[in-house]
Amino acid sequence: MEIGLNHYLVLSTILFAIGLVGVMKRKNLLLLFFATEILLNSVNIAFAAISHYYGDLTGQMFAFFVIAIAASEVAVGLGLLIVWYKRHGNIDLETMTSMRG
Amino acid sequence: METLLYIALFAPLVSSMFSALFTTTPKKTFVGVIASLLIFTSFVSSSLLLALIVVNGSAPVHVEMMTWMATGDLYIPFGFIVDEVSVTMMMVVTLVSTIVHIYSIGYMDHDKGFNRFFAWLSAFVFSMMVLVMSDNYAGLFIGWEGVGLCSWGLIGFWFHKESATWAANEAFIMNRIADLGMLIGIFLVYWNTGTLQYEGAFEAFQTLDTATLTWIGIFLFIGAMGKSAQFPLHTWLADAMEGPTPVSALIHAATMVTAGVYLVIRSNELYSLIPNVGLFIASLGAFVALFAASMALVNRDMKRIIAYSTLSQLGYMFAAAGLGAYWVALFHLMAHAFFKALLFLGAGNVMHAMHDELDPFKMGGLKKVMKWTWIMMTIASLALAGIFPFAGFFSKDTILEAAFAEHHFVIYGVLLFTAGLTAFYSFRLVALIFHGEERYKIFGIHPHEAYRFMLVAMSPLLILAMIAGVLQEPFFHMIEEILSAHEYHIHSHTTLWIMLVGTQVFVALAILYAYKKYANAFIKVPDGTSAIENSFAYKLLYNQYYIPYFYEEYLVKPYKEISDMFWNKVDMKIVDASVDGIAGIIYGTGEKTRAMQSGNLSTMLKWMVVGLVVLLSLAVVFGLAARYSDSITVILSGLGVM
Amino acid sequence: MLDHILSILIFFPAIAAVFGFMIQKDSIRAYGISVAAIEFGLSLWLWFAFDGNVSGMQFMENLPLVPSFGINYILGVDGISLFIIVLAAFFTMIGIASLTETPNEKNMIITLLFLQMTMVGVFAALDAIVFYVFWELSLVPMLYIIGAWGGPLRIYASIKFFLYTFAGSLVMLVGMLFMAYFFYQATGVWSFALLDWYRLILPETFQLWLFAAFFIGFAIKVPMFPFHTWLPYAHGQAPTIGSVILAAILLKMGTYAFIRFSLPLFPDASAAFMVPIAVIAIIMIIYTAMVAYAQKDVKQVVAYSSISHMGVIILGTFALNVEGITGSIFLMIAHGVVSGALFLLVGVIYDRRHTKLMSEFGGLAHVMPRYATIFGIMLMASVGMPLTINFVGEFLSLLGFYQQSHILTLLAGTAIIVGAIYMLSAYKKMFFGDVTKEENRNLPDINKRELVALIPLSIITIWLGIYPKPILEPINNSVEAVVQLMHNKAQTELAKERIPNLVKERVLVIKKTVIEEEVH
Repeated sequence: MEIGLNHYLVLSTILFAIGLVGVMKRKNLLLLFFATEILLNSVNIAFAAISHYYGDLTGQMFAFFVIAIAASEVAVGLGLLIVWYKRHGNIDLETMTSMRG
Repeated sequence: METLLYIALFAPLVSSMFSALFTTTPKKTFVGVIASLLIFTSFVSSSLLLALIVVNGSAPVHVEMMTWMATGDLYIPFGFIVDEVSVTMMMVVTLVSTIVHIYSIGYMDHDKGFNRFFAWLSAFVFSMMVLVMSDNYAGLFIGWEGVGLCSWGLIGFWFHKESATWAANEAFIMNRIADLGMLIGIFLVYWNTGTLQYEGAFEAFQTLDTATLTWIGIFLFIGAMGKSAQFPLHTWLADAMEGPTPVSALIHAATMVTAGVYLVIRSNELYSLIPNVGLFIASLGAFVALFAASMALVNRDMKRIIAYSTLSQLGYMFAAAGLGAYWVALFHLMAHAFFKALLFLGAGNVMHAMHDELDPFKMGGLKKVMKWTWIMMTIASLALAGIFPFAGFFSKDTILEAAFAEHHFVIYGVLLFTAGLTAFYSFRLVALIFHGEERYKIFGIHPHEAYRFMLVAMSPLLILAMIAGVLQEPFFHMIEEILSAHEYHIHSHTTLWIMLVGTQVFVALAILYAYKKYANAFIKVPDGTSAIENSFAYKLLYNQYYIPYFYEEYLVKPYKEISDMFWNKVDMKIVDASVDGIAGIIYGTGEKTRAMQSGNLSTMLKWMVVGLVVLLSLAVVFGLAARYSDSITVILSGLGVM
Repeated sequence: MLDHILSILIFFPAIAAVFGFMIQKDSIRAYGISVAAIEFGLSLWLWFAFDGNVSGMQFMENLPLVPSFGINYILGVDGISLFIIVLAAFFTMIGIASLTETPNEKNMIITLLFLQMTMVGVFAALDAIVFYVFWELSLVPMLYIIGAWGGPLRIYASIKFFLYTFAGSLVMLVGMLFMAYFFYQATGVWSFALLDWYRLILPETFQLWLFAAFFIGFAIKVPMFPFHTWLPYAHGQAPTIGSVILAAILLKMGTYAFIRFSLPLFPDASAAFMVPIAVIAIIMIIYTAMVAYAQKDVKQVVAYSSISHMGVIILGTFALNVEGITGSIFLMIAHGVVSGALFLLVGVIYDRRHTKLMSEFGGLAHVMPRYATIFGIMLMASVGMPLTINFVGEFLSLLGFYQQSHILTLLAGTAIIVGAIYMLSAYKKMFFGDVTKEENRNLPDINKRELVALIPLSIITIWLGIYPKPILEPINNSVEAVVQLMHNKAQTELAKERIPNLVKERVLVIKKTVIEEEVH
């Protein structure tokens, strides 16, 4: 059986679903970051696969963009996370409610 | 000629504006003098115009001063015409105005608003001149509203009095109701004839169908009903007596209230095409003549009695005009202006003497102190009653003859009976005021005759009230060219003589009865105990058939209540509340969904996922719908939905 | 300079307002007056240079903004908009000149100058987007005036004013976008230029929907029943100057827009909606007049009377003939002058007594005779006395509508009765009778600063009532063009019947005269 586009897309979907559940369920900020990384990477897989399928490099280019943005996001996010941890001694989502409307 | 016309027209305006300069300053006699002189100038110009027209037989003077409104096909100029009809009115207006102006210098002598009074009075004369001289309906309407405005200002002249301002507003608003009719009439004229000029409109009337003409006639007459205080818009006239007496003489007897009659006479070419409306006008006129005379019988307010008599005489005029006897109506209008103004000015003298007392029962025996006033008022009353050889005999008897000759015997009968009533209430008043015991003494009043110059000013009216009858023939010959008049002659001379003598005897008997009943020593101030005062008829008449009460209870009060309800209930509770309600719903939704923004990142992410899922499913649904839209249409049409 | 006079008229006050921030506090008033006076002079120059015999647009300016979507900065005036622009300049000038002691006077004057920019912009714009921008911008200064200098309920009133009118104009914006889209569909190019839109003939169903969309925006602005309730609050809370500008100019935007947009763009829809709108107009006339009669606060009387008069304007507009539309435009100007003056007059007494309740007054004619006189003149103008400015407009509006419906005109004509009732009773309550309140006994009569504003207004009121020709003629010429355009565009039988054809009549008239000459 040859690995085709569909397999990649299914993998991407599964990863996306895992990431989505993680985003919804995790209470720990660090794990939330992991979940978002999974989400982004699932999309990356889809990009790369489709790009390969069409023979068009735009998709792979976008995947690189996503990686770059994800990296910077993590950099900033982790920085904020550390500051928060130093201030409050935890990184529990339940305690971060200062944005309450 | 044109210069004369402009002088006659604008001298009162100049007078008004001159006096208006001094409205805030204390009394200055020269204001009154100059105003009177200017009005007199206007009178002289009018006389010259009359002379030119009558003696030289020259064509009517017609000028177009400037454009007023012009848009689309509408073209309304400020145009003025002096022909036989308008010059008659101009003479009446300027003559009575001049006299009233001079008289007012004396009458308003001690009043704080002396200067203001002359400003208003001259403004009134100007408006009246515009009314009678305009050559189109729009110009007439300017004057029409102008006299209404001045009447408002003059009835409410003593604006510190609640009753005066109330009467002023009543007069204005009631006239406005009629003016709406007039306005609609004007619109009808415009859209059917394409012009508002009398000349063009009258020409076009000949080709219009009767239904349209009837509507035009009715609506214009509604306007006339308001200004001439015909039933049911009559109540304002009696209340208007709150104004200073010279105003009552000029506006509410001699000139403004006759504007309605003037309108009908002016539109004679219209009304002669629609005899049915004419008959209605005549019937209403006859009814009002009787109706007003009956209210005058028992009234205990000197000025109101005269006001009702004015109303009654206006009924006569309308009866004549409605029957097509336009020149008779105009002649009675003229004669009436003279003796009624005289009567009012005499009443003014009495009021001055009696310190503004109006109840004739509290007077009596005044002929000793006020000899000249007594003579004048008696002669005016004789003229009003239609006794030979005074003015009223010639004008009023001709109306009766006209009614008889036209075979409208019911109208004739009503008018004849009213003539008797007129004589009775006129002399009831004279008898109560000037004869009998001096009942005023118990009130501690020391009456005095008016200033001499006031009496001199009144004398032209006195002379005219006596001799105006001789003018009938010349007047007829002057007017017949324009009013297509014919003299009313009863076919048989015997009938005519019987009618004349019979009327005279009937009227004379009424006068004698009035003297017998009221000129004796037993008259007392009524205190509401006598049998007659408690009779139903007396109460009915005394309360003016309860019409003012009816208006107050069933029109004025409900209007106020509905207005309050509209504001408090509808506007605030329904219209505004529903707007606020919509805003409230939006605000409330925000308030309720606020909990979504718990600030908890986890919850917010969950909502985000929900949103994502919704959007994705929508996209899928729409995508599928777009792809299979053809088959969906087929299915739906199969189901009968599309 | 004449080529760009409209841009100058729009942006001169705005630039001057920006510079106003740099002016010393004690000289801001003189600065404001001089800026407004220059602006007024410019507007007079515009009038002077305006050719009254030309029916089309004059002083056109065209500057591309977003050419790919056909959004251009197009300006122009014709007889319909010219006089409202002059009136706006005039009222800003006398408004600033008669400004009484105000906290933060500097901000007030700068706001007024900004407001002037938006007002002139609305009436000069010939591009829908430019029009919309100025239309919405005009809300901001007004919001600020009511919100910052208003009475106790000012926040509620200003927010209501803003949101209500804003919501309406959003619907209008959607209508505009659709209109442009239809234009694109028909011609293949995008255009928001009004004169381009005029050439487009839409199917009747489209017209009905678009008419409704525009109608909501305009009707709230006018304000028409039942969208009128923001107005009493706005007037009740606004400072005198705010009410004056609001009544004199801002309300006219709605009625002006009806003539500029609704009638020529949607002639069939206008004819179809004529009767329902006339009924609304009659409700406005009678109902609000009765509500005005019930008021206790004299300013609310004037506010509700504005709505009542706007009803007559709407009626004249939807007469769809030259007489009616000309009358309604004239009445816009007339009502601007008269209601502006009435609000100024109410301001006079408010400054003295700090109350507007009529029960607090009475007998003022004794203490303030000059004030009573000027109030009386304006009162009579308001009730439509002939030879005052209002009468010309009311007469023509009603006359015009009479051609369309007799009964409705008869009902609408009650305006002259109900108007007299509330106005006279208010006047009686305030001025007649004896002086009952001790505080009123020594009130000073009207002073010079107030006369500066009121004397010119009184003169205009009477002058234009006697000689309306200089204004009526240019309006008439432009309106004839609009009516002819509408007639040419009309498709339905109803619209053809209701909108007169001027050209045909002209030809007939000419023929008639020729025949007459031949006969002679």
